[in-house]
Order: sequence, then structure tokens, then C-alpha cells
Amino acid sequence: MTIRFHRRRDSGPDHAGLSRRMFLMTTTMAGVTTASLIGGTRITYAAPLDEGQGAILLRMVQDIYPHPDLLKLVHYQVIADTVTKGLEADADQARALTDGLAKINAQAQGLYGKDYVAIEDADMREGILRHFQNEGFFQGVRWTAYFGIYDNKEIWPLFGYQGSSVEQGGYIDRGFSDITFVPQGPTLEERMAEVQK
Amino acid sequence: MAQFDLIDDSVVVIIGSGAGGGTLANELAQKGIKSVILEAGKRFQRSDIENDEWAMFKKISWLDKRHSAGGWHGAVNHPTLPTWIVKGYGGSTIHWAGVALRLREYEFKTRTHYGAIDGANVEDWPVDLAEMTPWYEKAEMKMGVTGKTTGMPHLPWNNGFRVLAEGCRRTGRTDYNSGPMAINSIERDGRPQCQQIGFCMQGCAIGAKWDTLGTELPRAEGSGNCEVRTDAMALRIEHDDSGKVSGVLYADADGNQHLQKARIVCVAGNSIESPRLLLNSASSMFPDGMANSSGQVGRNYMNHTTGGVYAVLPEKVHMFRGTSVAGIVGDEVHHDAARGFSGGYYLEFLSLGLPFMAAFLEPGNTGWGRSVARALENYDRMSGVWILGEDLAQERNAITLHGSEVDQYGLPVPIVSKTPHNNDYEMTAHMYETSAQIYEAVGATDVYELPSYPATHNMGTNRMHADPAKGVVNAYGQAHDIKNLFVSDGSQFTSSAACNPTLTIVALAIRQAEYIAQEMNAGSI
Repeated sequence: MTIRFHRRRDSGPDHAGLSRRMFLMTTTMAGVTTASLIGGTRITYAAPLDEGQGAILLRMVQDIYPHPDLLKLVHYQVIADTVTKGLEADADQARALTDGLAKINAQAQGLYGKDYVAIEDADMREGILRHFQNEGFFQGVRWTAYFGIYDNKEIWPLFGYQGSSVEQGGYIDRGFSDITFVPQGPTLEERMAEVQK
Repeated sequence: MAQFDLIDDSVVVIIGSGAGGGTLANELAQKGIKSVILEAGKRFQRSDIENDEWAMFKKISWLDKRHSAGGWHGAVNHPTLPTWIVKGYGGSTIHWAGVALRLREYEFKTRTHYGAIDGANVEDWPVDLAEMTPWYEKAEMKMGVTGKTTGMPHLPWNNGFRVLAEGCRRTGRTDYNSGPMAINSIERDGRPQCQQIGFCMQGCAIGAKWDTLGTELPRAEGSGNCEVRTDAMALRIEHDDSGKVSGVLYADADGNQHLQKARIVCVAGNSIESPRLLLNSASSMFPDGMANSSGQVGRNYMNHTTGGVYAVLPEKVHMFRGTSVAGIVGDEVHHDAARGFSGGYYLEFLSLGLPFMAAFLEPGNTGWGRSVARALENYDRMSGVWILGEDLAQERNAITLHGSEVDQYGLPVPIVSKTPHNNDYEMTAHMYETSAQIYEAVGATDVYELPSYPATHNMGTNRMHADPAKGVVNAYGQAHDIKNLFVSDGSQFTSSAACNPTLTIVALAIRQAEYIAQEMNAGSI
């Protein structure tokens, strides 16, 4: 994707607004208020990850597709749980992931002298992950996150996507042509007239 | 449905049931000519179609092992998925969006209009627009294409296209409309009116869009003159001592091999499988592959010069509501050397659902992070286009066979090589700039440029040419080397043109059926 930022118009809140929210998520993860964030369910880390590895994974999932204003921590926790569940029957994959998480943390320690999850700047955390984006463990987590967010019918409404329509008779009576900031299309009569020989 | 004996050597064997094969079978059937279709995939029903991008991708796509090679980004980002086509009853007509454009006059005669181009293999078709016009009209009547031929109005404009159209109007463009589409805007030919469901490329759940699944194939079978065998993968074409083709060896669902005898063989397996089958049919008489005395089988692989552009608008658009390709902009379809490239291009409004938008906004390993996530938060304010332009034929862009790796049928895995020509880079830059200007004129805040998708438009690998030294088939799709062997799909295209290939494939298939009937009656094949 190449992004052309528009030449005439401010395109909305910048990244600074996001990073603060991301930072809050990071700190709450480490604290005792975590349980209240996800509605009373205590976060548990499924084997084979220990608590530190689980925290890195959860932070990583958030950094791969950060939607702090749309998604809740529980959405990301479900994805992290899906990743760890997939490891239970696959020792090689589990080893690849735990090694990968250790490499992420080592990179953070080497560059900034602190744990990955303690880095406040979201761009710096993303920069650390970019080092590992061609590795299998990373892409495994990435695609799990992709399907858990963007192919998730429960999350679609948060993005304004309505999905399947055939069972509701399509969008013909449900707003397929309801916007008002550009002109209407041609009427049926006009469309009929233009195809006469 | 008719059933024909394996040793019945009076039948026409057609390989593939999509736009080319399905149309050809029905046209022959209506003339009383018997055929057997060998379809590699399953027998899909209309009820198999769901409004779900990934579910349908997994259900209908051709996912047999293939290697994506050459200099295009997909060699890295889509290493095993060079193309996006269908394996099953109905072929890629299930997946096509319904755009039914004719080639322009100059696009049939590219060598004449462009001259020789370094690194490219540009040639004229052995047919022209005047010759093809009545066949296009027959195809438009058959498929139910909105426009003057049928008198069926173009579809109502949806949100996403209205944004694009207004941008076109504000930038002084004039050639933009919601057709021609092979989607019923009114009930016609036993098929219902479009309900603006969306998901056209996941298959039309109600059959408002023309596909061979719902028209040509059941009609051919209903005539009693056609048997469609699904889960029947063609392995090689056999020939007799005189060099005429005599039958097709295929594998059934259980892997058992059968030889179906044939009077005529028509290859319509799309532009990878068709040349692959000819190459796999090499024999002592045809050591370089069947019908390949020109050396052009598998060469000149074209798939359009493409990209995507999605613009973020100030207000909600909900582009996913309604037909997937809801409008076409034709202003840039002309040849003007002053633009720095040969040929022209269309802009076609194309909606993607959130799952595919998130997958294709930035394909490959890098498509994650804050810029991607932030872009996707604008999903409901997006309108966008798929841009498709003429892709110049190059000999090095080719379908070749892997030296050691075989697929589940034991056949060498195809390698699909595609490297853009400088013409493509020049055209692509122009496409992106044009699209951005149009959307900025209507207030876009951000504009995202997407690289090409795995190709659905695949052409040229058994090209037609008047000169047997420069092409595989003649103007009727008949092999220059073997008179009872035909190519009936987009692989016979001499050039890619800018437009979606299906209407031309159907028009050529109708014309080919007429020719085959005439030649059979004359006893010459």
C-alpha cells in the first residue's frame, strides 16, 4: 500500500492520539486492574507460555493491528488465546513462538534497555516487530490476528461493514444508494432512454 | 443428461466448463452436436454460494500447486497463487464480476497502431471489430448484457460508484456509466433482477449475473447432447498416427484414469491449464508439445496491467452495498503515445469486503501495523477502483513446467512467470495519478494505492495469429498444426486489450461453434 496523504485537507487525528491509548493498555496489562478491563475474567496464560511470554504476545497482537478506539483488550486476548491454543498440539510451533517472543524482547532490551512491553512509543514497538516480520512465528501470529479481527462477524459492525445480505434480500432496499454528499444517479427513465437504439 | 461411451469417437471433447467451454458446449448442443465436457472441479450448485469472501475463496478457487515467478510483486507476496480463478462447474464465470465490454477497434490491431515495441511481442489479431461485432451482439443477447443490444437498462448507481462518477464529472470526464454488465437490471431469460446483494465475485447467489453454472451448462445438458463430467482432470491429449487428436486421458475423483475418444478436442481450461495440457501432451511426433510448431504455446502470458485505488471520503460511503463492480470509466481507453505508454486502461469501481480489503490493502508480510490498521478504520468511508489496462505480450512471460515437482495428478507443476514491461510501469503511474485526481475532486482525504491482485484475467498463452509461425491457432481458435484441435478460452487472445475478457471469450466461442459445425458438415474435421 502506498498512501497518498491528501493535499488539501487534514485527514483527522494523528498518531500521537493513538500512542497514548496504547500506552495505557500496556500499563494496565501489568497491573492488577486487568480483570476489570475484560469484564471480570482474569487473564490466564495457556501453556506453553508463561506470564511474561503471554504479555509479550498480547502486546504483539495489539501492535500488529492496533485499533485502540475500536477494539477492547478482550478482543486481542481472544486472539492471543487462539494462538496459544494452536500450540498445544505442536511442540515445534510452540518452540518457534517462544523463541520468537524471546527475540523480540532481546531486541527491545538491546535497543532501548527495557522490555518490549515496557516501551511506551508505539512506533518504536512496531519497529522492533518489523525486524521479525518475515519469520514464520510472526506471520503465524499476524494471520491469526488478521482472521480474528477482519474476518470476524462480531467485529465487523465496529468497522461499519455489514457483510452477508442475501438472506435479507440484498441491499436494494437497505441503503445501496443512500448517500447525500454527491448527486443521485440517473433515474430508471433516464437509464431506459439511454439504451434505446 | 446424456451419457456417452468412452469409446464413442464421434463426440467433441471440451476441457473446461467456464465462459469458453460452457458456451461452446451449449452452442454445439443446440446445433445437435454431441459433446463431453471434462471439468476438473466439483459440480457446484447455486445453493453452494454464500456471501462470505473467504468461505467462497476456499470453496471455489483453483488452489492446485502453482509457482508464481518473475519480477512482479506476487512472486514474493503470492508465491503459490499467481491467479485467482475457479475450479468447478461453471469455471471462472462464477467469480467474474459481470463486466461485459467489447474490445475497441485499435485493440485488435495493436501491431499496426503501436508498431514494434522493444521487449514485447505485439501482434495484430487475425480478426477485427467489424468481423466480431455480430458475434459480440449474439454474446450480449445470450448473456443479457445491459445496453442497446438487449435494450435492458444499466443498473442503478450505488453509493461507491456515485462517488467515483461525481469525481469523473468534476474532472471533465464523460465516459462513465453503470454498464455494460451481464447482470439483469430487470428479470430476463429466466433469471431474476439484481437485488444489489454485493459479493458478485463470490458467485451470484440468485443468478442475476450470467454464469455458465446457471445457463449454458444446464441448457447443454438439458438438450441431451452434452455430458458434463465433473472431477475429471484432463491429463493429456492423445493423437493418432496421422497427427490428428483422437481422445483425452483424464483422471476421475478417485484418481482412476480413463481415455475418452474424440472426433474433436477443444481446450478451454484457462490460460494456465490450456497451454499446460498442450505441453504435457508432448509425444514423439510433437516433442515440444502439441500444436507448438510455432514455439508460442505457453508464451505471451498476459493478465492486464492493474492496480487498485481506494479513497477515503469525508462521509460514510458503505461501498459494499450493491453490485461489486458498479460502474466503468472508459475515458482513458485510447492509444496516445504522448502519454508515454501504448494502449489504454479502464477504471472500474470495485468494492471489497472488510476481509479482502484488509488482506489486499498491503499484501504480503508487511501488511500490518499502524498505517494498515488506521487505513482500515476508514473502511466505511471508502470508494475505490480496480484499474485495468493493456498488458503487452512478452515471450518471457510464460507458463512453463517444473522440472521435478508434480501435483496430485502426477503432472509437472506449472510455473507462471510475469515480469512487467516498462510500458506497464508508465501506465500504472498514470492510472494511479488519474484515480487520485478523480477522488480528490470529490473530497478524498487519503488515497491508498494497492498493487495488482492475483490475476483473474489470464490471456494469450495459445495466441491466435494469421501466420502459423507466430501463433498457435487461427482466427477460429483452430490449431494451425492440428485441424481437429481447438482452443476455446482466453488463451487464444493475441493481445490483452484493456477490457475484461469474458465477453470476447463468449463471442469467440459462439463463432467457433458455428465454424466447427460448418467444418463437420463439410467433412473436413
